[in-house]
Amino acid sequence: MESNHAIEVKDLVISYKNLKKMSIKQSLLHFRRKKAENFVAVKGVSFYVREGEILGIIGKNGSGKSTMLNSLAGIFSPDSGTIDLHGHSISLLSIGVGFQKEMTGRENILLSGMLLGFSEKEIKEKEEEIIQFAELGKFIDMPVRTYSSGMHSKLAFSITAILETDIMLIDEVLSVGDAKFKKKSFKKMKDLISDEKRTVVIVSHSIDTLSSLCDTVMWMHEGEIKKIGEPKEVLDEYLEFMK
Amino acid sequence: MFKRFCFDMQKYFKYAIYSSRAQLKSEVANSYLNWLWWVLDPLCFMLIYTFIFGTVFDASEQYFPLFIFIGITMWDFFNKTMLQSVKLVKNNKPIVSKVYLPKYILIVVKMMINGFKMLISIAIIVGMMIFFQVPLTWNVLFAIPLMLTYMLLIFGFGTILLHFGVFIEDLWNVTNIALRLVFYITGIFYDVYKRLPEPFNEIVIRCNPVAFCLSSMRKCVLYGQAPDLAILLIWFVIGLILAVIGVRIVYRYENSYVKVI
Repeated sequence: MESNHAIEVKDLVISYKNLKKMSIKQSLLHFRRKKAENFVAVKGVSFYVREGEILGIIGKNGSGKSTMLNSLAGIFSPDSGTIDLHGHSISLLSIGVGFQKEMTGRENILLSGMLLGFSEKEIKEKEEEIIQFAELGKFIDMPVRTYSSGMHSKLAFSITAILETDIMLIDEVLSVGDAKFKKKSFKKMKDLISDEKRTVVIVSHSIDTLSSLCDTVMWMHEGEIKKIGEPKEVLDEYLEFMK
Repeated sequence: MFKRFCFDMQKYFKYAIYSSRAQLKSEVANSYLNWLWWVLDPLCFMLIYTFIFGTVFDASEQYFPLFIFIGITMWDFFNKTMLQSVKLVKNNKPIVSKVYLPKYILIVVKMMINGFKMLISIAIIVGMMIFFQVPLTWNVLFAIPLMLTYMLLIFGFGTILLHFGVFIEDLWNVTNIALRLVFYITGIFYDVYKRLPEPFNEIVIRCNPVAFCLSSMRKCVLYGQAPDLAILLIWFVIGLILAVIGVRIVYRYENSYVKVI
């Protein structure tokens, strides 16, 4: 049934052509423009994700996984093809959400939340929960630039994990902070993911994570889908391939 | 596009307000005297220019300190916003690469920050006008459409600079030089109309929007004269067109910015 699809991707192509930076000095010196490099990161990918489904994406580095995740989140635009989210709200849960370094953690919670499309009231309601979860204590009222990298990613994780959206995109986030926080965040993720209505797309290199969490696994290779289907089947083949 | 613009503006306006407020706050947080600089900075420049041009070069404009202060206040706003626009996307990389927002909102944020600082200067201007006992006429009200046109032009130029600033690395340097040129032909510390030779003064006033807004602002605030309404209208329309073009370009290409920075 069409209406149950949370994400529908059709013939998605994303390339990095013609987007090299140039300088005026350069273009004056080299009058004829150098031919632009054309790198196609995602080559005509089509798939869909049902509402409540958990899709894992695996593939070696540079196979276009993160590019595709970014385009699902609306940060990249596809060169051709379409992405239809059927009006669901979406957020990218990854290490280090956009923080403004000079501002305090508390202000960053509000700003990030607003960028994710929440109202001030909703954020204020969840603010305490986020701060509690992030275990930042008094650091929450200090500028983010004073944070250690662990604190930084803990806060980032907490914001996106507690401000829940319909669709969550997760990019290698399962290794945040120390062992204790890792355990906690993994549990939180499981809670989030097991919510029947939530659609999740996870990009990961960890076979264990994918096989324990996902309903479907997609294997990407050089910008194309090599295989999509049952986790066990796909992952076995992937492991075989990577040997 | 217009509908989308209205929708996005509504959606992200609150964010813009919070973001600018938080940025202003963080400027103060670093040192408690920082807000004083928002006052001292333009004030000091006013004193320097008043001394050099009023005493050394013997300028004879009426209310000369005010004349200069209005110039600096308006110029600063323009200058800062332009220079910030060029590097705006790059400087906001952490946000831009993690979540979608219409990129011109970043300009709105900067304009709010700079606008707030300008408000402080305007308060000082009002204070100085009381001190110098500048006679007011109804023509002062022209300051509002003038400011509006000025903002619109800045927003238009800003969005276009923002777009090209992403792709052209050394645009900042070029902009900086261009701004210096505009600075000298805008007449911050002299009256373009009186000081420039015959045909050029008219041309500069008409073709340089900053000079036009600036000199008209002085005219209506200090000397009780109405601005040239035809030219004001033309610049308003141009500002509108620039803003539409800018927003259009940004909408069209903004999603590829992340690939470049």
